[in-house]
Amino acid sequence: MKDELVKLDDLGMSEEELFSHYDNNELESEKITAPRYSYWRSVFRVFFRKKINIFILALLALVIIFSYVYPAIVPYDQFVNLSNYEAWHLTPAKAIERLGFSIHTILGTGGSGEYTFDAVWFGARISISLAFICALINMVIGILIGAVWGFSKKVDIFMTEVYNIIANVPYILLISVLVLIFSPSFLTMVFALTVTGWLGIAYFIRTQVIIIRDREYNLASRCLGTSIFKIAMKNILPFMTSVIVTLAATEIPSYISYEVFLSYIGMGLKDMSLGKLIFQAESAMVTPGWQFEFWSPVAIASIITVVLYVVGQNLGDASDPRTHM
Amino acid sequence: MTKYLIKRILHGAVSIVIVVAIVMILIYTCMNRQQIFAQDNYWTKVKNNQRTVYEFRKWNEYGYLDLVMYSDWLVSLTRSGEIDETTRSSAVAIGKTPNGDSETAKQYVKKFTDFYQSQGYTVRRLNAVMMTTTKVADGGTQYLFAYRDKPLITRLWKYFTGLIKIDNIHNVKEDIGKRELIFTMHDPVYGGEKFSPAIMGNGTDHRYLLYFDDSFPYVHQNLVTINLGKSYAVNAGIDVAESMSVSQGRQTKKLATYPSGLTEETADNLHTAKYSAGSKDKLELTSNLFTDDYTNVSLFRSGKSMVGYSFIIGIIAAAIAYLFGVPIGVIMARHKDKLVDKIGTVYIIFIIAVPSLAYIFLFKAIGGKLGLPTTFNMEVNEAAYYILPIVSLALPSIANLMKWLRRYMIDQMNSDYVKFARSGGLSEGEIFRKHILKNAAIPLIHGIPGSVLGALVGAIITERVYVVPGAGNLLTMAINARDNGVIVGVTLFYASLSVISIILGDILMSMVDPRISFSSKAR
Repeated sequence: MKDELVKLDDLGMSEEELFSHYDNNELESEKITAPRYSYWRSVFRVFFRKKINIFILALLALVIIFSYVYPAIVPYDQFVNLSNYEAWHLTPAKAIERLGFSIHTILGTGGSGEYTFDAVWFGARISISLAFICALINMVIGILIGAVWGFSKKVDIFMTEVYNIIANVPYILLISVLVLIFSPSFLTMVFALTVTGWLGIAYFIRTQVIIIRDREYNLASRCLGTSIFKIAMKNILPFMTSVIVTLAATEIPSYISYEVFLSYIGMGLKDMSLGKLIFQAESAMVTPGWQFEFWSPVAIASIITVVLYVVGQNLGDASDPRTHM
Repeated sequence: MTKYLIKRILHGAVSIVIVVAIVMILIYTCMNRQQIFAQDNYWTKVKNNQRTVYEFRKWNEYGYLDLVMYSDWLVSLTRSGEIDETTRSSAVAIGKTPNGDSETAKQYVKKFTDFYQSQGYTVRRLNAVMMTTTKVADGGTQYLFAYRDKPLITRLWKYFTGLIKIDNIHNVKEDIGKRELIFTMHDPVYGGEKFSPAIMGNGTDHRYLLYFDDSFPYVHQNLVTINLGKSYAVNAGIDVAESMSVSQGRQTKKLATYPSGLTEETADNLHTAKYSAGSKDKLELTSNLFTDDYTNVSLFRSGKSMVGYSFIIGIIAAAIAYLFGVPIGVIMARHKDKLVDKIGTVYIIFIIAVPSLAYIFLFKAIGGKLGLPTTFNMEVNEAAYYILPIVSLALPSIANLMKWLRRYMIDQMNSDYVKFARSGGLSEGEIFRKHILKNAAIPLIHGIPGSVLGALVGAIITERVYVVPGAGNLLTMAINARDNGVIVGVTLFYASLSVISIILGDILMSMVDPRISFSSKAR
């Protein structure tokens, strides 16, 4: 060991060069050295770590392109083959044979000769828009009210009663009465799905808030005089991000399912949505040789909902800071 | 505990009343009344005043308003003996316009107007619609009537007070002889020889108030009846509770003795005999069979009731769901992130994300390929017809149970008591079965009463897809037919079931888990 010691004189440096006074900076000493951490960057790092997510995200992009860009470029004409009796109820193979191979014919044709492929994406656009708008409205209202509901004991008593009552009104009844009062338009549907839809989300958020609200770190924060608003925004909201994303992942596909369900029982939109397509093709389902018309919108609807769900769930997992290690 | 329960039940009752009030406001106040006539062929045919009167009559029938026609009012006056027939016939002939009334008509029109206006009615007179100066247009005859919108409070009050009806011997208005209850040890329906106790009534709505027969639950009563509301379109004139619980299908015959003494194979269920004024002498057939006016009987049918079908399918599906869902959930939690867990998760995602309609049709297609019957047939009472509906209902519930049980168990896995058990040397299997499962199952136990009672409600899509004549479609049918009575009745039924099942769930949970207590003292 001794051999390795270096004599300072050998370095040939002046005393000042070797020992300069380092100022004791108060501000600097407060800083804690930690690796740089950006929340959202970590979220995406964790999200893309799984290779399957890239694939599903690509699929989602494809779905979005087909349902928003494709109908804008290729106008959908329901009656394009109306006079051509030969073009009705065709399976893809026959459609390609009779009408020639094009992107329109790859899913066959429907009951009045319309191209199923075009119809499905045209319907998907309306269904997806409906799902996103409803989810957005319900989530925003639900989270805001749920936060207040969880924090205030007075609001809690009142809102719990409201929830117990409203939750007992049959959802189909509410929606169908609203559809009957107004016309079954897109906006009516949004209104019908959101008028009580936020309650469930608010209740869920309320429970989450109550769980986190009385944790020690929040009690400490409150003892130090942090305002409730700041606690809600800085302490609780970050904690809830993954819960909210996971919730959104179940909410968005559920509206598509709901729209399909409502159309099936005859209370859906009057626009050509995915649900309406399925409803109209139901009779084809029982006719031998025509089943394809029924299964294509069903399959596309399922693909859309599954993709949205999986992306949301995995994003929810990734947005949980505990997975960022 | 008792105090708490009573409080909960009262709370539940209040919320049920509010739910019914909300639904009543929705359908009677918010909904456009004109909608009723959207598919009404008769409405498109009638014209002018007749159409207006038809609309009001229909609204009266559907319970929107109280309507009194001037002519009906005169008839009721004649019946009560206030005026005689000649006055009635001259008073009923009102003029084409108020100026054209005769003296008598004028007098009674004024009386009618004053009487009903004082009661808050609106009196409306429709003058004749003329084609020429003398000829009345098609359906353009003059009318006079009074109407009043039913206020919500009266509507609610009437509905809830009329909900439970207890039969008594003063119910029959007409003269019926001695009003009494008859206790018999030998039910006359079985010939009067066989020992079968029954309580019969004279003057009551039902002839038999209590009786025994050979169908489950063997002892039946007609003393207390529940009136959820009359149907107009779905099952015309029949109460919702009855149309849900009365058996359907082909008529079946049983040996029975009519009151007249005639014994024969008949589909008439004589135990359901109800009073119907003057019905005995209306037809020769009934006057031969019966000795009094208790002739209104329902029929024996081979099938089950709407609720019966829904319940059988629902309860078996729920049982299967718990039978499979719980063990699979445990296995998934135990082998977290292993192959079993991954397969299970894919299945759960499939059920959650794919629209229920899609997978039910998928099950139907697969079942059809396997040779199972895909459309329900109530005439053939075979188990095979039940398989697909039950499977379609059970598979999503299994996924749901799996999902939650796995989640709860994984959450419990890092608890201190688990670490303690492990350090105590218990095997993993023992820890999972005896400790984690017991704790994780508590939230699931809360849902058991809900899934049992929920089976009564039926499933909309499943029943529609497999054409099961169950109760699930009653609400959608009623909504499509604008059958307000049924809508309100079914809502009350749903709301009561959900309130009861939550209370029962809480009780069950506090029984299973001693830590949960609802009495304030224990805390």
